[in-house]
Amino acid sequence: MRAERSNLGDCRLGILLLVAPALAMVLALFVYPLGMSLVSAFTAKDGKPTLENFAKAFALYGLDIVFTLVIVTVSTVLIGLLTAAIGGYLVLGAHPVAVAVLKSLYRWPLFIPFIVAAQCMRTFLAKNGIMNNTLAALGLVDVGSLSGLLDWRGIIVTFVWKETPFVALLVSGAMAALDRATIEAAANLGAGGLRILVEIILPQVAGVMLVGLVLAFVTMLSVLSVPIMISGGSPTMITVDMAFRVNSYSDYGVANALGFVSYAMAGLAAWVYLRRSVAHGSPL
Amino acid sequence: MQRTAVLFAALAALALSLPATAQKAVTLNVVTAGDQNMVDYLKDYLGPMFEKEHPGVTVKAVGTGPGDAGSQKIYEKLEAEKANPAWDIDVAVIHQKAAGEMVGKGLLARYSAEIPTGKLVTSEAAKNALGSDVGGYVMPMFNSQTAIAYNTAMVSDPPATYDALEKWVRVNPKKFGYNGIKGGMSGVSFVVGWIYAHSPDTDRLIKGPYDPDTKKSWVPILAELAAFNKNVVLTPGNAGTLDMLNRGEIAMGPVWVDMFYTWQSDGKIPPGVKLKLIGPGMPGQPMYYVVPTKAANAKLAEDFIALATSPKVQADGIVKRFNWYPGIDTAAVKPQLDEASWSKLFVDVTPEDLATKGKPFPLAPYFNDILESYERKVQ
Repeated sequence: MRAERSNLGDCRLGILLLVAPALAMVLALFVYPLGMSLVSAFTAKDGKPTLENFAKAFALYGLDIVFTLVIVTVSTVLIGLLTAAIGGYLVLGAHPVAVAVLKSLYRWPLFIPFIVAAQCMRTFLAKNGIMNNTLAALGLVDVGSLSGLLDWRGIIVTFVWKETPFVALLVSGAMAALDRATIEAAANLGAGGLRILVEIILPQVAGVMLVGLVLAFVTMLSVLSVPIMISGGSPTMITVDMAFRVNSYSDYGVANALGFVSYAMAGLAAWVYLRRSVAHGSPL
Repeated sequence: MQRTAVLFAALAALALSLPATAQKAVTLNVVTAGDQNMVDYLKDYLGPMFEKEHPGVTVKAVGTGPGDAGSQKIYEKLEAEKANPAWDIDVAVIHQKAAGEMVGKGLLARYSAEIPTGKLVTSEAAKNALGSDVGGYVMPMFNSQTAIAYNTAMVSDPPATYDALEKWVRVNPKKFGYNGIKGGMSGVSFVVGWIYAHSPDTDRLIKGPYDPDTKKSWVPILAELAAFNKNVVLTPGNAGTLDMLNRGEIAMGPVWVDMFYTWQSDGKIPPGVKLKLIGPGMPGQPMYYVVPTKAANAKLAEDFIALATSPKVQADGIVKRFNWYPGIDTAAVKPQLDEASWSKLFVDVTPEDLATKGKPFPLAPYFNDILESYERKVQ
C-alpha cells in the first residue's frame, strides 16, 4: 500500500516535471507580458489607475475598432466560402487533372509570409498595377476608368489569399477522411455536386471548419504589415494605431488599451474554439 | 570511451580558445534607425573603410527600422540595460525626437568636443533637437529635406506654395497623393508644412515657448486639410508615394529628397519627375550619430564618428553616393567635391530654397499636438 502511494507520488512529480518547461514558457512568454500589458492599459502616465486610456482609444480609434472587426469578419466569411469550394472540388471533382492541379496549387500561399504577400499585392492591386494592366491588355477594361484596390478591399484580398490555404488544408483533410458511402449514396439518388457539398459534406466537417476559421480570424486580427503596406487611408486596422501610439508618442497606455480591445475580440473567438474542443474532447 | 574523451578534449580546447580570440578582435556595434539605405551605408561603405584603418576591429551594423519607430527601439534597449556596467551599443544613429529624450534620460555621452570634426558643425540642428538642448551630445550624420515631387509629363507649372497646391488639387482631383501620418515621415512632414503655412505664428511652433492651447487655433486649418484630403489619394507609405509617381497614378506627392534621388538613379522613378520645395516651407531633419553613456568601446566609437563626419566621407559617402545633404558645414564639404556632383544635389532644390523654405520640425510637444489633432479632426 505504502509502495503504491509512493509510486503515485513519483508519478505526479514526474508529470509536474514533464509539464514544467512548457508551463514556464507559457508563463514567461505569454501570461507575464499579457499581465503587464493589461496593467499598463489601466495605468495613467503618473502610475495611478485610470480608464483614460480607454476613453482616448475609443474617442480616437472607435471607427478603426469597428473597421477592424468588419474587415476580419468579412475576410473570415470569404475564407469559409472559398475553403468549402476548394475542399468540395477536391472531394467531388470529376476531372482528375484539374483536381491534381488544384491540390498542388492551393497550398502555396501558406508558405509566404504576410509581409511578402502584402508587398506583392501592392504592385498587383494598384491602379496601374499588374492586375488592371493585364485586364486592359486583354481588352476587357479601360485602365483609366478603374481605380486601384489599395484600400480596405486590398486588405481583404490579401487576408483571404493568405489564410484560405491554411483553413482549406484542415477542411480538405477532414473531407477526405469522410465515409464516401454517404456521398455516393446521395449521388446515386441523383443529388448534384453543390447539393452533396452543402447538405452532406459540409455538415460533417463543420466543426473542423469552424476551428480553422477561428484560428484564421485570430491570426488576421494581429497582422500589422498588411494594413500598413496596402492601405494608406483611414479608417485603418487597430494594429496600425497601436504601432503609431508607441512609435510617435511613446504612449503604451493607449496602445495597450487598444490591445485589450483586440484581446476581447480574440477572446470571443477563443471561447468558440474552446467550447468546441471541450464538447468534442478533441485537440482540434 | 576513447572517442568521448577526444570529443571532450576538443570541446574544452574550443572553449578555452574562444575568449582568447574574442579579446584580440573588437567588435564595434553600430545600430541605426532608418531605412535600408542607412544599413547599406554603414555596412557597405563606412564599416569596411573603418575596418581598414583599424585592423582587428569588426564593425557590426544593425538596422532597427524606419522612422521614429527605429529610434524608439534603440532608446528602449538602452533604457532596459541602464543598470548594466557596459552597454552593447557603441554608436547609434537616431532621429531628433529620440535624441532629445535620450539626452534628458542621461543615456548619451557628451563627446562632440572630443573629436576633431566637432568644430566643423555649427548648424542649429546640432544644438537643438525639437526644442531639446542636445549640443555636444550629437553629430549630424546628414540633413534631409522633404519636397514635392511632380511628374513633368502631367504638370508643366507646379504650384509653388501650399495655397497654390490647394487650388491645383481642387482642379485636378486625385492627382496629388501623400501617405497620411501613419505611413512614414514624408506624409507627417507634409502635414506639419500645412500647419506652418496656415498658422499665424510658425516661429513659436519651432522655437517655443510651448502653449498647450495653441492647438485649439488649428481647428479651422485642419478642417481645410480634411476638405483637401477628399481630393487626394492616400498612399501606403513613403515608398508608396514614390511607387504611385512611378506608375503614373499620381502626378504629385511629398517625398524625401535623398530617397527620391536614390530611386531615380536606380531607374525606379522616371527622369521626367522633378522636385519643388514649396512655400512657405516644408520640414526636414538630420539624423544624429550618438555614443551611449556606457558604450563598451567609447573611444573607438568616437574614432568611428570622427571618420564618418570628416569632410572627405561627408563628400563621397553622404553627398555623392547617398544623395543626402551634408551633416557638417557645407563650406567644409564643398571643396572635396567636383562641381557636377555638388550641383546635382541642388538642381531642383537650390541652396536658397533650402535656406528660406527648409524648416525644422516643431518642438516635440507641438509635434505631438499636430499629430493627435490630425487624428481627431482629419481622419
